[in-house]
Amino acid sequence: MRAIAQRLLRQVVLVPVVAVASYFLMASLPLTTETDAKRQVSRELAASYQRDLGIGEPLGFLRPWEKLFRGERLGTSAQGITGDELLTKLSGSVGVGLMALPLALTWALGFALLRTRWRKGQWAALGDVVPAVAFGMPVFIPALLLAPGVVERGHLLPELCAALVTSIWPGIFLGTLVGDSLEAELSRDYVRTALGKGLSRAAVLRRHVLPNVWPAMLDAVGPVATSLLAGSFAAERVLGLPYFGQLYVLAVLNKQVAVVVVATTTFATLLVIVSLAVEVLRYAVDPRSREASA
Amino acid sequence: MSRVPMRARVGLVLLVGLGLLSLVAGRLFPEALASTCPLGMDPTRPDRTVCELAFGGLWVSLAVGLAAGALSTFIGLAVAAVARLSGGAVEQTLLRAVDAVFALPDVLVVMVLQLAGQSLSDAGAGGGLGPFGLMVVSLALVGWAGPARMFRNRLATLESQEYVAASRALGGGGLHLLRVHLWPALRPFALAVFLSRLPAAILTESTVSFFGIARMEPMSLGRYLGTSYAALIYEGGGRVVLPAWALLVLLVLGASLASQALSGAPRRAS
Repeated sequence: MRAIAQRLLRQVVLVPVVAVASYFLMASLPLTTETDAKRQVSRELAASYQRDLGIGEPLGFLRPWEKLFRGERLGTSAQGITGDELLTKLSGSVGVGLMALPLALTWALGFALLRTRWRKGQWAALGDVVPAVAFGMPVFIPALLLAPGVVERGHLLPELCAALVTSIWPGIFLGTLVGDSLEAELSRDYVRTALGKGLSRAAVLRRHVLPNVWPAMLDAVGPVATSLLAGSFAAERVLGLPYFGQLYVLAVLNKQVAVVVVATTTFATLLVIVSLAVEVLRYAVDPRSREASA
Repeated sequence: MSRVPMRARVGLVLLVGLGLLSLVAGRLFPEALASTCPLGMDPTRPDRTVCELAFGGLWVSLAVGLAAGALSTFIGLAVAAVARLSGGAVEQTLLRAVDAVFALPDVLVVMVLQLAGQSLSDAGAGGGLGPFGLMVVSLALVGWAGPARMFRNRLATLESQEYVAASRALGGGGLHLLRVHLWPALRPFALAVFLSRLPAAILTESTVSFFGIARMEPMSLGRYLGTSYAALIYEGGGRVVLPAWALLVLLVLGASLASQALSGAPRRAS
Protein backbone atom coordinates (compact mmCIF):
# COMPACT_ATOMS: atom_id res chain seq x y z
CA MET A 1 0.00 0.00 0.00
CA ARG A 2 2.94 2.28 0.79
CA ALA A 3 4.33 1.89 -2.73
CA ILE A 4 0.99 2.92 -4.25
CA ALA A 5 0.73 5.90 -1.90
CA GLN A 6 4.25 6.97 -2.92
CA ARG A 7 3.36 6.67 -6.61
CA LEU A 8 0.18 8.71 -6.11
CA LEU A 9 2.05 11.36 -4.11
CA ARG A 10 4.64 11.68 -6.90
CA GLN A 11 1.83 12.36 -9.36
CA VAL A 12 -0.10 14.80 -7.16
CA VAL A 13 2.99 16.84 -6.30
CA LEU A 14 3.30 17.71 -10.00
CA VAL A 15 0.34 20.12 -9.75
CA PRO A 16 1.83 22.57 -7.19
CA VAL A 17 5.23 22.25 -8.90
CA VAL A 18 3.73 23.26 -12.27
CA ALA A 19 1.61 26.00 -10.64
CA VAL A 20 4.55 27.61 -8.86
CA ALA A 21 7.05 27.14 -11.73
CA SER A 22 4.70 28.59 -14.35
CA TYR A 23 3.78 31.49 -12.03
CA PHE A 24 7.37 32.50 -11.31
CA LEU A 25 8.37 32.08 -14.97
CA MET A 26 5.54 34.37 -16.08
CA ALA A 27 6.00 36.81 -13.16
CA SER A 28 9.66 37.27 -14.10
CA LEU A 29 8.90 38.29 -17.69
CA PRO A 30 9.93 41.84 -18.58
CA LEU A 31 6.56 42.72 -20.08
CA THR A 32 6.57 46.28 -18.78
CA THR A 33 9.28 48.90 -19.20
CA GLU A 34 9.65 52.51 -18.17
CA THR A 35 9.68 54.08 -21.62
CA ASP A 36 6.89 54.05 -24.15
CA ALA A 37 9.36 53.21 -26.89
CA LYS A 38 10.12 49.87 -25.27
CA ARG A 39 6.58 48.96 -24.26
CA GLN A 40 5.76 45.54 -25.59
CA VAL A 41 2.15 45.29 -24.49
CA SER A 42 -0.86 47.56 -24.27
CA ARG A 43 -1.49 49.61 -21.13
CA GLU A 44 -4.54 47.48 -20.29
CA LEU A 45 -2.54 44.26 -20.61
CA ALA A 46 0.32 45.66 -18.53
CA ALA A 47 -2.17 46.67 -15.82
CA SER A 48 -3.84 43.24 -15.84
CA TYR A 49 -0.38 41.63 -15.63
CA GLN A 50 0.41 43.50 -12.38
CA ARG A 51 -3.10 43.03 -10.99
CA ASP A 52 -3.73 39.37 -11.90
CA LEU A 53 -0.34 38.02 -10.86
CA GLY A 54 -0.24 40.03 -7.61
CA ILE A 55 3.34 41.06 -8.36
CA GLY A 56 5.18 42.37 -5.33
CA GLU A 57 2.51 41.08 -2.94
CA PRO A 58 3.05 38.37 -0.33
CA LEU A 59 1.54 35.07 -1.57
CA GLY A 60 1.05 36.73 -4.96
CA PHE A 61 1.10 33.35 -6.66
CA LEU A 62 -2.30 32.60 -5.17
CA ARG A 63 -3.81 35.75 -6.73
CA PRO A 64 -4.89 34.25 -10.12
CA TRP A 65 -6.71 31.43 -8.34
CA GLU A 66 -8.29 33.78 -5.83
CA LYS A 67 -9.69 35.85 -8.71
CA LEU A 68 -10.96 32.78 -10.54
CA PHE A 69 -12.78 31.44 -7.48
CA ARG A 70 -14.34 34.88 -6.87
CA GLY A 71 -15.71 34.81 -10.42
CA GLU A 72 -13.55 37.77 -11.55
CA ARG A 73 -12.00 38.03 -15.00
CA LEU A 74 -8.33 37.18 -15.55
CA GLY A 75 -6.51 39.09 -18.29
CA THR A 76 -7.90 41.91 -20.40
CA SER A 77 -11.63 42.54 -20.91
CA ALA A 78 -11.57 41.36 -24.55
CA GLN A 79 -9.26 38.35 -24.30
CA GLY A 80 -9.39 37.37 -20.63
CA ILE A 81 -11.41 34.63 -19.01
CA THR A 82 -13.51 33.86 -15.94
CA GLY A 83 -13.57 30.62 -13.99
CA ASP A 84 -16.91 29.58 -15.53
CA GLU A 85 -15.66 30.22 -19.06
CA LEU A 86 -12.51 28.22 -18.31
CA LEU A 87 -14.58 25.27 -17.13
CA THR A 88 -16.85 25.47 -20.19
CA LYS A 89 -13.88 25.49 -22.55
CA LEU A 90 -12.17 22.70 -20.63
CA SER A 91 -15.31 20.56 -20.78
CA GLY A 92 -15.41 21.12 -24.57
CA SER A 93 -11.84 19.86 -24.96
CA VAL A 94 -12.42 16.95 -22.60
CA GLY A 95 -15.52 16.10 -24.66
CA VAL A 96 -13.44 16.02 -27.84
CA GLY A 97 -10.88 13.88 -25.98
CA LEU A 98 -13.58 11.48 -24.82
CA MET A 99 -14.86 11.18 -28.40
CA ALA A 100 -11.27 10.53 -29.52
CA LEU A 101 -10.65 7.80 -26.94
CA PRO A 102 -12.94 5.10 -28.45
CA LEU A 103 -11.64 6.06 -31.90
CA ALA A 104 -8.06 5.61 -30.66
CA LEU A 105 -8.98 2.22 -29.18
CA THR A 106 -10.52 1.22 -32.53
CA TRP A 107 -7.34 2.26 -34.38
CA ALA A 108 -5.29 0.37 -31.77
CA LEU A 109 -7.25 -2.85 -32.03
CA GLY A 110 -7.37 -2.73 -35.83
CA PHE A 111 -3.67 -1.99 -36.16
CA ALA A 112 -2.65 -4.63 -33.59
CA LEU A 113 -4.62 -7.31 -35.47
CA LEU A 114 -3.35 -6.21 -38.90
CA ARG A 115 0.25 -6.04 -37.64
CA THR A 116 0.04 -9.59 -36.32
CA ARG A 117 -1.25 -10.72 -39.73
CA TRP A 118 1.29 -8.65 -41.72
CA ARG A 119 4.23 -10.01 -39.72
CA LYS A 120 3.81 -13.44 -41.32
CA GLY A 121 3.61 -12.25 -44.94
CA GLN A 122 5.04 -9.97 -47.56
CA TRP A 123 3.52 -6.88 -45.89
CA ALA A 124 5.80 -7.06 -42.85
CA ALA A 125 7.41 -3.70 -43.68
CA LEU A 126 4.01 -2.01 -43.23
CA GLY A 127 4.31 -2.77 -39.51
CA ASP A 128 7.13 -0.18 -39.44
CA VAL A 129 5.84 2.18 -42.11
CA VAL A 130 2.34 2.76 -40.68
CA PRO A 131 3.59 3.94 -37.23
CA ALA A 132 6.13 6.22 -38.98
CA VAL A 133 3.38 7.68 -41.22
CA ALA A 134 1.11 8.19 -38.20
CA PHE A 135 3.89 9.71 -36.08
CA GLY A 136 5.09 11.87 -38.97
CA MET A 137 1.64 13.38 -39.32
CA PRO A 138 1.20 16.35 -36.98
CA VAL A 139 -2.47 16.75 -36.07
CA PHE A 140 -2.79 19.98 -38.06
CA ILE A 141 -2.10 18.17 -41.37
CA PRO A 142 -5.18 15.87 -41.45
CA ALA A 143 -7.15 18.72 -39.86
CA LEU A 144 -6.17 21.01 -42.76
CA LEU A 145 -7.19 18.31 -45.27
CA LEU A 146 -10.59 17.77 -43.61
CA ALA A 147 -11.30 21.40 -42.72
CA PRO A 148 -12.68 22.64 -46.09
CA GLY A 149 -15.50 20.08 -45.89
CA VAL A 150 -16.50 20.49 -42.25
CA VAL A 151 -15.48 23.83 -40.80
CA GLU A 152 -18.78 25.61 -41.42
CA ARG A 153 -21.15 22.65 -41.19
CA GLY A 154 -21.68 22.57 -37.39
CA HIS A 155 -23.84 19.79 -35.85
CA LEU A 156 -20.79 18.46 -33.96
CA LEU A 157 -19.10 17.55 -37.26
CA PRO A 158 -16.01 19.71 -36.51
CA GLU A 159 -15.80 18.14 -33.03
CA LEU A 160 -16.04 14.65 -34.53
CA CYS A 161 -13.35 15.48 -37.09
CA ALA A 162 -11.14 16.93 -34.33
CA ALA A 163 -11.57 13.68 -32.39
CA LEU A 164 -10.79 11.64 -35.52
CA VAL A 165 -7.57 13.46 -36.43
CA THR A 166 -6.44 13.59 -32.80
CA SER A 167 -6.93 9.85 -32.32
CA ILE A 168 -4.73 8.60 -35.20
CA TRP A 169 -1.24 8.72 -33.65
CA PRO A 170 -2.27 7.70 -30.09
CA GLY A 171 -4.30 4.82 -31.57
CA ILE A 172 -1.42 3.52 -33.70
CA PHE A 173 1.00 3.95 -30.77
CA LEU A 174 -1.34 1.98 -28.50
CA GLY A 175 -1.84 -0.63 -31.25
CA THR A 176 1.92 -1.12 -31.59
CA LEU A 177 2.33 -1.69 -27.84
CA VAL A 178 -0.71 -3.94 -27.54
CA GLY A 179 0.31 -5.88 -30.69
CA ASP A 180 3.80 -6.52 -29.30
CA SER A 181 2.43 -7.54 -25.92
CA LEU A 182 -0.26 -9.75 -27.49
CA GLU A 183 2.30 -11.50 -29.66
CA ALA A 184 4.63 -12.11 -26.71
CA GLU A 185 1.79 -13.58 -24.61
CA LEU A 186 0.42 -15.75 -27.44
CA SER A 187 3.80 -17.46 -27.80
CA ARG A 188 3.95 -18.52 -24.12
CA ASP A 189 3.56 -22.07 -22.82
CA TYR A 190 0.37 -21.43 -20.86
CA VAL A 191 -1.45 -20.51 -24.10
CA ARG A 192 -0.37 -23.76 -25.78
CA THR A 193 -1.41 -25.71 -22.67
CA ALA A 194 -4.84 -24.06 -22.59
CA LEU A 195 -5.35 -24.71 -26.31
CA GLY A 196 -4.11 -28.31 -25.89
CA LYS A 197 -6.69 -28.88 -23.15
CA GLY A 198 -9.44 -28.00 -25.61
CA LEU A 199 -10.25 -24.36 -24.87
CA SER A 200 -11.32 -22.30 -27.87
CA ARG A 201 -9.01 -19.48 -29.09
CA ALA A 202 -11.55 -16.87 -27.99
CA ALA A 203 -11.76 -18.33 -24.50
CA VAL A 204 -7.95 -18.48 -24.21
CA LEU A 205 -7.71 -14.90 -25.35
CA ARG A 206 -10.38 -13.67 -22.94
CA ARG A 207 -9.51 -15.71 -19.86
CA HIS A 208 -5.72 -16.04 -20.07
CA VAL A 209 -4.12 -13.65 -22.55
CA LEU A 210 -6.01 -10.39 -22.09
CA PRO A 211 -5.47 -10.19 -18.30
CA ASN A 212 -1.73 -10.28 -19.06
CA VAL A 213 -2.02 -7.65 -21.80
CA TRP A 214 -3.95 -5.15 -19.61
CA PRO A 215 -0.85 -3.85 -17.72
CA ALA A 216 0.92 -2.98 -21.01
CA MET A 217 -2.20 -1.18 -22.16
CA LEU A 218 -2.51 0.74 -18.89
CA ASP A 219 1.16 1.78 -19.13
CA ALA A 220 0.33 3.43 -22.45
CA VAL A 221 -2.81 5.24 -21.26
CA GLY A 222 -0.86 8.16 -19.71
CA PRO A 223 1.09 9.05 -22.90
CA VAL A 224 -2.06 8.44 -24.98
CA ALA A 225 -4.12 10.84 -22.82
CA THR A 226 -1.35 13.45 -23.09
CA SER A 227 -1.27 13.04 -26.88
CA LEU A 228 -5.06 13.28 -27.15
CA LEU A 229 -5.23 16.47 -25.09
CA ALA A 230 -2.17 18.09 -26.71
CA GLY A 231 -3.32 17.04 -30.18
CA SER A 232 -6.66 18.69 -29.62
CA PHE A 233 -4.85 22.10 -29.46
CA ALA A 234 -4.01 21.98 -33.18
CA ALA A 235 -7.31 20.39 -34.22
CA GLU A 236 -9.32 23.04 -32.35
CA ARG A 237 -7.26 25.82 -33.95
CA VAL A 238 -7.75 24.57 -37.52
CA LEU A 239 -11.38 23.52 -37.15
CA GLY A 240 -12.36 26.72 -35.32
CA LEU A 241 -13.49 25.07 -32.07
CA PRO A 242 -13.52 27.63 -29.21
CA TYR A 243 -12.33 25.26 -26.49
CA PHE A 244 -9.39 24.92 -24.13
CA GLY A 245 -6.71 24.38 -26.81
CA GLN A 246 -7.78 27.48 -28.70
CA LEU A 247 -7.86 29.42 -25.40
CA TYR A 248 -4.31 28.33 -24.57
CA VAL A 249 -2.85 29.21 -27.97
CA LEU A 250 -4.56 32.62 -28.00
CA ALA A 251 -3.42 33.31 -24.41
CA VAL A 252 0.20 32.66 -25.44
CA LEU A 253 -0.13 34.67 -28.66
CA ASN A 254 -1.71 37.64 -26.83
CA LYS A 255 0.61 37.41 -23.81
CA GLN A 256 -2.27 36.88 -21.37
CA VAL A 257 0.20 35.57 -18.82
CA ALA A 258 -2.23 35.02 -15.93
CA VAL A 259 -4.42 32.90 -18.24
CA VAL A 260 -1.30 30.94 -19.28
CA VAL A 261 -0.44 30.20 -15.62
CA VAL A 262 -3.97 29.04 -14.82
CA ALA A 263 -4.40 27.05 -18.05
CA THR A 264 -1.01 25.30 -17.68
CA THR A 265 -1.82 24.27 -14.12
CA THR A 266 -5.32 23.13 -15.14
CA PHE A 267 -3.81 21.02 -17.90
CA ALA A 268 -1.31 19.46 -15.47
CA THR A 269 -4.16 18.74 -13.04
CA LEU A 270 -6.12 17.00 -15.78
CA LEU A 271 -3.13 14.80 -16.61
CA VAL A 272 -2.63 13.96 -12.93
CA ILE A 273 -6.31 12.97 -12.62
CA VAL A 274 -5.88 10.63 -15.61
CA SER A 275 -2.74 9.15 -14.01
CA LEU A 276 -4.54 8.61 -10.70
CA ALA A 277 -7.45 6.93 -12.50
CA VAL A 278 -4.96 4.65 -14.28
CA GLU A 279 -3.30 3.73 -10.97
CA VAL A 280 -6.68 2.84 -9.44
CA LEU A 281 -7.60 0.80 -12.53
CA ARG A 282 -4.23 -0.96 -12.45
CA TYR A 283 -4.80 -1.86 -8.79
CA ALA A 284 -8.20 -3.30 -9.72
CA VAL A 285 -7.24 -5.34 -12.80
CA ASP A 286 -3.61 -6.34 -12.20
CA PRO A 287 -3.08 -8.80 -9.33
CA ARG A 288 0.72 -8.29 -9.58
CA SER A 289 0.23 -4.63 -8.71
CA ARG A 290 -1.74 -5.62 -5.58
CA GLU A 291 0.88 -8.21 -4.58
CA ALA A 292 3.73 -5.73 -5.05
CA SER A 293 2.03 -3.22 -2.80
CA ALA A 294 0.99 -5.73 -0.11
CA MET B 1 33.91 -2.66 -36.11
CA SER B 2 30.25 -3.50 -35.64
CA ARG B 3 28.15 -3.96 -38.77
CA VAL B 4 25.43 -1.37 -39.36
CA PRO B 5 22.04 -3.14 -39.74
CA MET B 6 20.26 -2.85 -43.10
CA ARG B 7 17.26 -0.96 -41.64
CA ALA B 8 19.60 1.58 -40.08
CA ARG B 9 21.36 2.04 -43.42
CA VAL B 10 18.04 2.62 -45.21
CA GLY B 11 17.02 5.12 -42.53
CA LEU B 12 20.32 6.98 -42.60
CA VAL B 13 20.34 7.11 -46.43
CA LEU B 14 16.79 8.50 -46.34
CA LEU B 15 17.76 11.14 -43.77
CA VAL B 16 20.98 12.21 -45.50
CA GLY B 17 19.24 12.15 -48.91
CA LEU B 18 16.44 14.40 -47.69
CA GLY B 19 18.95 16.71 -46.01
CA LEU B 20 21.01 17.05 -49.19
CA LEU B 21 17.91 17.44 -51.36
CA SER B 22 16.50 20.16 -49.14
CA LEU B 23 19.86 21.94 -49.01
CA VAL B 24 20.37 21.82 -52.78
CA ALA B 25 16.75 22.41 -53.82
CA GLY B 26 15.61 24.69 -51.02
CA ARG B 27 18.69 26.79 -50.25
CA LEU B 28 21.40 26.58 -52.93
CA PHE B 29 19.43 26.44 -56.20
CA PRO B 30 15.81 27.43 -55.44
CA GLU B 31 15.46 28.94 -58.94
CA ALA B 32 15.82 25.44 -60.44
CA LEU B 33 12.66 24.42 -58.59
CA ALA B 34 10.80 27.59 -59.52
CA SER B 35 10.74 26.67 -63.20
CA THR B 36 10.05 22.93 -62.81
CA CYS B 37 7.65 22.65 -59.86
CA PRO B 38 4.61 20.62 -60.97
CA LEU B 39 2.52 21.87 -58.02
CA GLY B 40 2.37 25.46 -59.21
CA MET B 41 2.49 28.69 -57.24
CA ASP B 42 1.65 29.03 -53.55
CA PRO B 43 -1.90 30.42 -53.06
CA THR B 44 -0.84 33.09 -50.53
CA ARG B 45 2.62 33.92 -51.97
CA PRO B 46 2.16 34.16 -55.75
CA ASP B 47 5.89 34.84 -56.34
CA ARG B 48 7.01 31.48 -54.85
CA THR B 49 6.26 27.91 -55.92
CA VAL B 50 4.97 25.23 -53.54
CA CYS B 51 8.17 23.19 -54.11
CA GLU B 52 10.47 26.10 -53.18
CA LEU B 53 8.61 26.77 -49.94
CA ALA B 54 8.28 23.07 -49.01
CA PHE B 55 11.96 22.20 -49.59
CA GLY B 56 13.13 25.48 -48.03
CA GLY B 57 10.92 24.72 -45.01
CA LEU B 58 12.24 21.17 -44.82
CA TRP B 59 15.82 22.44 -44.61
CA VAL B 60 14.96 24.79 -41.72
CA SER B 61 12.93 22.08 -39.92
CA LEU B 62 15.77 19.60 -40.34
CA ALA B 63 18.36 22.09 -39.06
CA VAL B 64 16.22 22.85 -35.99
CA GLY B 65 15.66 19.11 -35.39
CA LEU B 66 19.36 18.26 -35.68
CA ALA B 67 20.49 21.06 -33.37
CA ALA B 68 17.73 20.48 -30.79
CA GLY B 69 18.16 16.68 -30.95
CA ALA B 70 21.92 16.97 -30.40
CA LEU B 71 21.54 19.46 -27.54
CA SER B 72 18.82 17.47 -25.74
CA THR B 73 20.82 14.24 -26.16
CA PHE B 74 23.90 15.94 -24.69
CA ILE B 75 21.93 17.36 -21.74
CA GLY B 76 20.28 13.98 -21.15
CA LEU B 77 23.67 12.25 -21.21
CA ALA B 78 25.16 14.77 -18.79
CA VAL B 79 22.21 14.46 -16.37
CA ALA B 80 22.35 10.64 -16.52
CA ALA B 81 26.11 10.64 -15.92
CA VAL B 82 25.77 13.00 -12.93
CA ALA B 83 22.92 10.86 -11.56
CA ARG B 84 24.91 7.61 -11.80
CA LEU B 85 28.15 9.13 -10.51
CA SER B 86 26.40 10.73 -7.53
CA GLY B 87 23.88 7.98 -6.72
CA GLY B 88 21.62 8.10 -3.65
CA ALA B 89 19.48 11.17 -3.00
CA VAL B 90 20.92 13.16 -5.93
CA GLU B 91 20.01 10.39 -8.37
CA GLN B 92 16.49 10.10 -6.93
CA THR B 93 15.98 13.88 -7.10
CA LEU B 94 17.14 14.00 -10.71
CA LEU B 95 14.82 11.11 -11.59
CA ARG B 96 11.86 12.94 -10.02
CA ALA B 97 12.80 16.04 -12.06
CA VAL B 98 12.85 13.85 -15.17
CA ASP B 99 9.37 12.53 -14.29
CA ALA B 100 8.06 16.09 -13.84
CA VAL B 101 9.42 17.27 -17.21
CA PHE B 102 8.18 14.09 -18.86
CA ALA B 103 4.61 14.50 -17.59
CA LEU B 104 3.74 17.63 -19.56
CA PRO B 105 3.37 17.59 -23.36
CA ASP B 106 6.30 19.09 -25.29
CA VAL B 107 4.09 21.41 -27.35
CA LEU B 108 2.59 23.09 -24.30
CA VAL B 109 5.92 23.66 -22.54
CA VAL B 110 7.62 24.89 -25.74
CA MET B 111 4.80 27.44 -26.20
CA VAL B 112 5.38 28.79 -22.67
CA LEU B 113 9.17 28.86 -23.18
CA GLN B 114 8.73 30.68 -26.50
CA LEU B 115 6.54 33.28 -24.80
CA ALA B 116 9.17 33.76 -22.08
CA GLY B 117 12.09 33.80 -24.54
CA GLN B 118 10.42 36.22 -26.94
CA SER B 119 9.55 38.61 -24.09
CA LEU B 120 13.18 38.54 -22.92
CA SER B 121 14.44 39.09 -26.48
CA ASP B 122 12.02 42.01 -26.98
CA ALA B 123 13.35 43.58 -23.80
CA GLY B 124 16.93 43.14 -25.03
CA ALA B 125 17.73 40.39 -22.51
CA GLY B 126 17.62 37.43 -24.86
CA GLY B 127 21.34 36.71 -24.72
CA GLY B 128 21.69 37.13 -28.49
CA LEU B 129 19.42 34.17 -29.27
CA GLY B 130 17.47 34.69 -32.48
CA PRO B 131 14.25 32.79 -33.31
CA PHE B 132 16.31 29.76 -34.44
CA GLY B 133 18.42 29.64 -31.27
CA LEU B 134 15.39 30.25 -29.06
CA MET B 135 13.53 27.36 -30.69
CA VAL B 136 16.53 25.03 -30.35
CA VAL B 137 16.97 25.91 -26.66
CA SER B 138 13.21 25.55 -25.98
CA LEU B 139 13.11 22.13 -27.65
CA ALA B 140 16.25 20.99 -25.79
CA LEU B 141 14.81 22.14 -22.45
CA VAL B 142 11.74 19.92 -22.91
CA GLY B 143 13.49 17.10 -24.76
CA TRP B 144 16.30 16.11 -22.37
CA ALA B 145 14.13 14.09 -19.98
CA GLY B 146 13.57 11.10 -22.29
CA PRO B 147 17.27 10.71 -23.20
CA ALA B 148 18.27 11.19 -19.54
CA ARG B 149 16.05 8.31 -18.45
CA MET B 150 17.22 6.07 -21.30
CA PHE B 151 20.92 6.81 -20.66
CA ARG B 152 20.52 6.36 -16.92
CA ASN B 153 18.91 2.93 -17.40
CA ARG B 154 21.53 1.88 -19.96
CA LEU B 155 24.36 3.02 -17.68
CA ALA B 156 22.86 1.07 -14.77
CA THR B 157 22.75 -2.06 -16.98
CA LEU B 158 26.33 -1.58 -18.21
CA GLU B 159 27.61 -1.01 -14.67
CA SER B 160 26.44 -4.49 -13.72
CA GLN B 161 28.77 -6.09 -16.33
CA GLU B 162 31.76 -8.06 -15.06
CA TYR B 163 34.40 -5.97 -16.81
CA VAL B 164 33.10 -2.86 -15.05
CA ALA B 165 33.11 -4.64 -11.68
CA ALA B 166 36.68 -5.80 -12.39
CA SER B 167 37.82 -2.29 -13.24
CA ARG B 168 36.14 -0.94 -10.11
CA ALA B 169 37.83 -3.64 -7.99
CA LEU B 170 41.18 -2.60 -9.47
CA GLY B 171 40.60 0.93 -8.19
CA GLY B 172 39.00 2.62 -11.22
CA GLY B 173 37.09 5.77 -10.21
CA GLY B 174 33.68 6.84 -11.47
CA LEU B 175 34.98 9.20 -14.16
CA HIS B 176 37.56 6.64 -15.34
CA LEU B 177 34.85 3.97 -15.66
CA LEU B 178 32.62 6.37 -17.56
CA ARG B 179 35.31 7.53 -19.97
CA VAL B 180 37.20 4.28 -20.61
CA HIS B 181 34.64 1.49 -20.19
CA LEU B 182 31.09 2.84 -20.34
CA TRP B 183 31.25 5.52 -23.04
CA PRO B 184 32.55 3.19 -25.82
CA ALA B 185 29.64 0.83 -25.08
CA LEU B 186 27.20 3.74 -24.90
CA ARG B 187 28.21 5.46 -28.16
CA PRO B 188 25.95 3.57 -30.62
CA PHE B 189 23.06 3.91 -28.15
CA ALA B 190 23.70 7.67 -27.94
CA LEU B 191 23.41 7.88 -31.74
CA ALA B 192 20.12 5.93 -31.59
CA VAL B 193 18.78 8.24 -28.87
CA PHE B 194 19.79 11.30 -30.90
CA LEU B 195 17.99 9.93 -33.96
CA SER B 196 14.88 9.17 -31.89
CA ARG B 197 14.81 12.81 -30.66
CA LEU B 198 15.10 14.18 -34.19
CA PRO B 199 11.49 13.54 -35.37
CA ALA B 200 10.03 14.55 -32.01
CA ALA B 201 11.87 17.88 -32.15
CA ILE B 202 10.86 18.49 -35.78
CA LEU B 203 7.19 17.73 -35.11
CA THR B 204 7.04 19.87 -31.97
CA GLU B 205 8.67 22.77 -33.82
CA SER B 206 6.23 22.32 -36.71
CA THR B 207 3.21 22.42 -34.41
CA VAL B 208 4.38 25.45 -32.39
CA SER B 209 5.34 27.30 -35.59
CA PHE B 210 1.99 26.36 -37.12
CA PHE B 211 0.24 28.15 -34.24
CA GLY B 212 2.20 31.28 -35.18
CA ILE B 213 3.96 31.39 -31.81
CA ALA B 214 7.51 30.83 -33.09
CA ARG B 215 8.87 33.51 -35.40
CA MET B 216 11.09 31.23 -37.50
CA GLU B 217 12.71 33.02 -40.44
CA PRO B 218 13.30 31.63 -43.03
CA MET B 219 10.09 29.66 -42.65
CA SER B 220 10.08 26.09 -41.39
CA LEU B 221 7.52 23.58 -42.70
CA GLY B 222 5.15 24.27 -39.79
CA ARG B 223 5.35 28.04 -40.13
CA TYR B 224 4.87 27.77 -43.89
CA LEU B 225 1.58 25.89 -43.41
CA GLY B 226 0.60 27.99 -40.37
CA THR B 227 0.91 31.37 -42.05
CA SER B 228 -1.52 30.39 -44.79
CA TYR B 229 -3.81 27.93 -43.05
CA ALA B 230 -6.89 30.13 -43.30
CA ALA B 231 -6.41 30.36 -47.07
CA LEU B 232 -5.77 26.61 -47.26
CA ILE B 233 -9.07 25.86 -45.51
CA TYR B 234 -11.16 27.91 -47.90
CA GLU B 235 -9.30 27.22 -51.14
CA GLY B 236 -8.65 23.49 -50.60
CA GLY B 237 -5.10 22.98 -49.45
CA GLY B 238 -4.29 19.43 -50.61
CA ARG B 239 -1.86 20.69 -53.28
CA VAL B 240 0.12 22.54 -50.58
CA VAL B 241 -0.39 20.31 -47.54
CA LEU B 242 0.27 16.87 -49.06
CA PRO B 243 3.87 17.55 -50.24
CA ALA B 244 4.76 19.03 -46.83
CA TRP B 245 3.23 16.01 -45.12
CA ALA B 246 5.10 13.59 -47.42
CA LEU B 247 8.42 15.28 -46.59
CA LEU B 248 7.70 15.10 -42.84
CA VAL B 249 6.72 11.43 -43.08
CA LEU B 250 9.88 10.51 -45.00
CA LEU B 251 11.98 12.37 -42.45
CA VAL B 252 10.30 10.59 -39.52
CA LEU B 253 10.49 7.22 -41.28
CA GLY B 254 14.23 7.64 -41.89
CA ALA B 255 14.94 8.68 -38.31
CA SER B 256 12.70 5.92 -36.83
CA LEU B 257 14.22 3.14 -38.94
CA ALA B 258 17.79 4.22 -38.13
CA SER B 259 17.05 4.74 -34.44
CA GLN B 260 15.24 1.40 -33.95
CA ALA B 261 17.89 -0.56 -35.82
CA LEU B 262 20.81 1.07 -33.99
CA SER B 263 19.30 0.78 -30.51
CA GLY B 264 18.54 -2.92 -31.03
CA ALA B 265 21.74 -3.84 -32.89
CA PRO B 266 23.97 -6.36 -31.12
CA ARG B 267 27.57 -5.23 -30.62
CA ARG B 268 30.44 -7.38 -31.78
CA ALA B 269 33.59 -7.61 -29.73
CA SER B 270 36.20 -5.46 -31.41
